[in-house]
Amino acid sequence: MRRNKANSVLLGKALKPLSLAQLESQLRPIFLAALGGDAAAYRLFLDTISTRLRGYLRQMLARVGRYEMSETEDVLQETLLALHLSRHTYDPASPVTAWARAIARYKLVDHLRRTGRHASNLPIDDEAYQLAAPDDAASDAKLDLARAMQALPERTRTLIDRVKLQGTSVAEAASATGMTETAAKVAIHRGLQAMAKFLSKRGAKAI
Amino acid sequence: MKTDDLISLMTASSRPVDTRWLSRATWLSALIALVATASLVLLTLGVRRDMASAWMTLPVIAKVLLGASIAAVALSVFQSSLRPGLKPARLLWLMAVPLALTAGWAFISLSQAPVDQWGTLTFGRSWRACLIAVPLYAMCPFVVLLALARRGAPINGHLTGLCAGLASAGLATIAYSLHCPDDAAPFLGSWYPLAMAATAGLGALILPRVVRW
Repeated sequence: MRRNKANSVLLGKALKPLSLAQLESQLRPIFLAALGGDAAAYRLFLDTISTRLRGYLRQMLARVGRYEMSETEDVLQETLLALHLSRHTYDPASPVTAWARAIARYKLVDHLRRTGRHASNLPIDDEAYQLAAPDDAASDAKLDLARAMQALPERTRTLIDRVKLQGTSVAEAASATGMTETAAKVAIHRGLQAMAKFLSKRGAKAI
Repeated sequence: MKTDDLISLMTASSRPVDTRWLSRATWLSALIALVATASLVLLTLGVRRDMASAWMTLPVIAKVLLGASIAAVALSVFQSSLRPGLKPARLLWLMAVPLALTAGWAFISLSQAPVDQWGTLTFGRSWRACLIAVPLYAMCPFVVLLALARRGAPINGHLTGLCAGLASAGLATIAYSLHCPDDAAPFLGSWYPLAMAATAGLGALILPRVVRW
């Protein structure tokens, strides 16, 4: 987990079992700052909300007999991508947790509809449950996003690999690939858009 | 890819976001679509012959008001249905006001007229034209709203489609009032709402198939 210290302190606070109202009152100012362009606030928001949403999705998937952590992670990543690309649909007067939850629910229903016919093949006996990967290793999702990334242009993929794998800043990654920082940001943004589009198209085909 | 990496990417490329764009875009594109639809009516059907004397009379004003109020409510619900986590459908009940007024006016004028005129008052000269023209011209604003819905995050495609259909029909009603030669209240109270309902149903059917995110 690559998080800076100040964040993990704040995050630790946010991770305690807060009531929804408490979470909301902590999270909304952070998200509003993020919408204003504060990258650190955005990081904190995404870390906090993804922890919450992971719990929600895991619980919901378990209810339909699906216990694979990588599946939770797939849906979570799709949700986060949708969250990111739909930030402009947030109404600042409304609760941000309700907004995020509604998007997660939409993506979950979409996922279940798409994969419904395979639901009976999923092992739900005790042994399979115990063999499931431990939580931390499972934060690597199965295939979905990896496949979506294959569809991106070479240059964007290199850029994304630099930022995500080597943890370099966008400015460093940009100069290494011979782009301006703004161009690099735009390229990453377009890459994320293309991934989301790829994922939703895959959904249309399956239906 | 790890979720943490995805978050890094999203943070790295994030920029300030305008949350008011969606509502601004909705009203602005509705206005543009209205002008386009009205121009289309004028180009294809032409203005009603007695427009010079009719445009300030109650029936024409009533058609415009009916269309405008339905469109206004539908557009506002449409806009919030593109934002997850809200409960937009509540406002839909506001549409009952213009519809009830129109129906009330229709009943009053029927009750004051002799029974043998009821048919003429209701069917007028062109009820089929109205029933066909309003949904047809509504396709112009509907396409615009469909494109807009793709920029939002509709979690209930049927509701978004219903509102897009109603709003388009409302705008088309305003545009078609430039041509529609029938002025009787029972005509207005039956065929316009029917045309709106048909367009709304069509919208609820089409939009979820077209808008996926």
